[in-house]
Amino acid sequence: MTWLKLVEGYMPMQMISELAGSILVFALVNWALNRAGMGIPKFWAGVGVWIYIQLYLKYRIYPPIPFSVRAIYGTVSGCGIFMWVSGSEGEWQEFKRPILNVMDGISGFHKGMRTAALIVIPLALGGFAYSSFLPSFEEPIELRTVHPAPPATTKVHGRTFVLQVVENPYRVNNDGKYDQAFTDARIVEQAMGRLMKDVNDPNYNPWDPNAEGYIKYVREGGEIFFQNCHFCHGDNLNGRGLWAYAFNPIPANFTDAGTIAQLQETFVFWRVSKGGIGLPGEGFPWASVMPPWEQHLTVDEIWKVVMFEYWHTGYYPRTWD
Amino acid sequence: MSKSRYGINVARLGVCLSLSVLLGLGLPLSSGAQEDLPEGFKQQGLPAPLPAEQIEAGKRVYFTKCVWCHGVEGAGDGPGAVRLWPRPRNFNAGTFKIRHTASGQLPLIDLDLLQTVTHGLPGSAMPSWEGILTEQQRKDVLAFVTSQLVQDRSWQDEEFEEFFVLELDQLAPKEGTPESIKRGSELVVEKKCIECHGLEGRGDGNAFNLKDDWGFSIQPADWHKCWNFRGSRQDPYNVKNIFRTFSTGLNGTPMPSFADNTSVDERWDIANYVNSLCEREQEIKAPQGTVTDEIALTFSTSQPLGIDPLTDKPKSNFVVPSKFVEGDLPTDEHDERWNLIPRRWIAMGGQITHKPRNFVNRIDDMWVRALYNETHIEFMFRWDDRTKSIQEDEVDWDPTEVNLEDYGVEEQAPQGTTFEEDPFHQESIAAKQKDGYAVYNDGVAFQFPIKWQELPAPRKPRYFWGDERFAADITKWTADGTLGVYEGTGWDEDFTEVDFQEEVEVVKAEWANGQWTVIVKRPLKGDYDEVAYLEQGKYIPMVFFAWDGHNGDVGRKMAVSAFYYLVMEPPIPMSTYIYPGLITVGIVIIEGWVLGRRANRRKAKGHA
Repeated sequence: MTWLKLVEGYMPMQMISELAGSILVFALVNWALNRAGMGIPKFWAGVGVWIYIQLYLKYRIYPPIPFSVRAIYGTVSGCGIFMWVSGSEGEWQEFKRPILNVMDGISGFHKGMRTAALIVIPLALGGFAYSSFLPSFEEPIELRTVHPAPPATTKVHGRTFVLQVVENPYRVNNDGKYDQAFTDARIVEQAMGRLMKDVNDPNYNPWDPNAEGYIKYVREGGEIFFQNCHFCHGDNLNGRGLWAYAFNPIPANFTDAGTIAQLQETFVFWRVSKGGIGLPGEGFPWASVMPPWEQHLTVDEIWKVVMFEYWHTGYYPRTWD
Repeated sequence: MSKSRYGINVARLGVCLSLSVLLGLGLPLSSGAQEDLPEGFKQQGLPAPLPAEQIEAGKRVYFTKCVWCHGVEGAGDGPGAVRLWPRPRNFNAGTFKIRHTASGQLPLIDLDLLQTVTHGLPGSAMPSWEGILTEQQRKDVLAFVTSQLVQDRSWQDEEFEEFFVLELDQLAPKEGTPESIKRGSELVVEKKCIECHGLEGRGDGNAFNLKDDWGFSIQPADWHKCWNFRGSRQDPYNVKNIFRTFSTGLNGTPMPSFADNTSVDERWDIANYVNSLCEREQEIKAPQGTVTDEIALTFSTSQPLGIDPLTDKPKSNFVVPSKFVEGDLPTDEHDERWNLIPRRWIAMGGQITHKPRNFVNRIDDMWVRALYNETHIEFMFRWDDRTKSIQEDEVDWDPTEVNLEDYGVEEQAPQGTTFEEDPFHQESIAAKQKDGYAVYNDGVAFQFPIKWQELPAPRKPRYFWGDERFAADITKWTADGTLGVYEGTGWDEDFTEVDFQEEVEVVKAEWANGQWTVIVKRPLKGDYDEVAYLEQGKYIPMVFFAWDGHNGDVGRKMAVSAFYYLVMEPPIPMSTYIYPGLITVGIVIIEGWVLGRRANRRKAKGHA
């Protein structure tokens, strides 16, 4: 569907509202048809809605959700529809009447349907069993912890950092004091586009020739980012860089509310410094291509690039309390 | 071949002037001027200037998102530029590649440039900004770029600018029939496309002598990877995109417009042929670019690859299947038995984890097939590489050495040399010229874990040549003919030679028309403690590596893949047929029982 895109970061909300919206439309259509005296039989309405939900989940959602998850959704929506069709004794009778009619073969047409069902059901289930018994070699699912617990301290370039107390030395106000409120006021806007607040104000535009202090350090961090990190994390820090397609695990999407927005700045400092190889076992250190940046950058450069990531995405680092 | 940016303007100076005057007066065009337009084009007036508020709004977008690569003045020299190839666009001269306008002309802002910002330029670092910037923000930033950063030309310059616009929407694409494809394959020879793009279209003709307007090395497109076409607009198998590029050319590059010397019909034939070469589910070869009727028919009926909308590349599957074959394994790539298994697309990125990092990666994918018999397994690797690279001088280091910094193999500095300053500096080979630097060996390698059977799942030896605790079994072939099996214990640890060298064999290694075909055979089993012991029906982790010698790839400067799994598929067991049969019979019995009960109940009711 090119005319209605899935918006990044809003996927679950969008899915739920689209589904709810279409069910509402179905209900209205059903009501209108009933009023016009052309009501759809309850049985077919129920089956139709259930198939619609299955098709929606299979073809609308991207990346595709696995069969097992769709099976869960199928069961839940099946239960919901069952509750709807069995709301009263009359409705329940109406729902099951077509099934009973076929079982009893009340007319020539129903007899034909019964014969067809008797043949199709065993064949379909037998075929399903065959395809599930056929050895298939799907990718094994390996669950990886994306944000494992950090250590208490980390040693970078010979200096030991206690993650609970260390502060980003560049997150400072005009007096050179650590000041998160000051810097939080100068990050990009959290509206669509995540743009800087004022391009003509040296307090907000890192590229302004008069930019000083925090906002100048943001530019320096950005320079490092665009010389080192964007190949994987992307020009918009959304994990869709030039070579992201080649790697698994995929690069982190910093614009997602579930990555740096959830983390303390010192956690990010540790992850950046030690890279994939520095992860504990549950983070799959053998598979990540994230460099241990201490091999490429100084401590100061790492602090600056971390600060740039918060500035560019418009997120605040989480505090320890 | 190459046409200067202003070539058309100079050639048609008289017509241009009269047209500009007519346009300026707002008069309808005379039929005489129309006749001079290339077929399929129509003349359009100059766009109105964009409002100042929009330019100001666009400045805010530019300095948040674009400045990092395109630079403060829009000269394509932001902090990201030096380590990028293709380089970010320099806007100053108003030279843009992807356009609906005739060669040398400015692009249409609300069509060409908006599409570029919306869909990005695949194969370069320019991403799609759709879903990130609103359409209004994308238009705003274009207002800023076209009015403030394009300095040498202006969309409102009535004296020098005119717009001959390709009417792509009015032209119905010609169907990609076998006849059209075959005619296209003849036309690309006649129109000399193959001089740059190569006999089989892999961009291997004249590959290292071409430069863009700024003196940076530029390479002809590889027609087999349409998802990397800059102008593919996230719709790579759409023949219209190829038709457009062929009709209007790529300004600033040696790719000319063919609008003047081809008819619209011929252009569709060429576009259909180029489109048919883009890789499909089925591997189709037209050796030396010779398309027979049979090949043309296969081209026209084969299915395109599935493209992943999140990456705009073919969809990945991390399982490399291998099938059992009776008797000897194939001796070349023509053996029919290779078709028993699908070829697998292996995505590859630059090695940018450890120094020296490979920021300019040329091998971005590879195709793999595998077959096995009782004793051996055979892999066929095929990948596109515009140049066959074999190191001529003796290398100073041993094949087992991996730390080559001491021999001068370094990564591109962030604030590097520019081409003008130092064309022969080997650090930034991508933007450089031929013969200016050392050429290393092309190569391919793959690794398995040694004793993978004992690994506590999902633990593996590190993707980068193993680690201290778990060693990797690395099979590496280089274009000088060396094939070795090594034990790797870490990214910076020299390899250890394994006593397996005599057992492995290069069945075939051939470079032809921009593609390597390398077939490597190795025994399934060796010393359990030293080499991977390959078994049927198991998931065996595997990583692939590749080197392009003309790109300065050597040692850790290479292309690397993610973890894949080799699976040697076992024969289908009997239970696959027995259980579904039993289930079918069981259901029939249940059906009979349910219907019988229902009938009895109805009968009982009827009697009562």
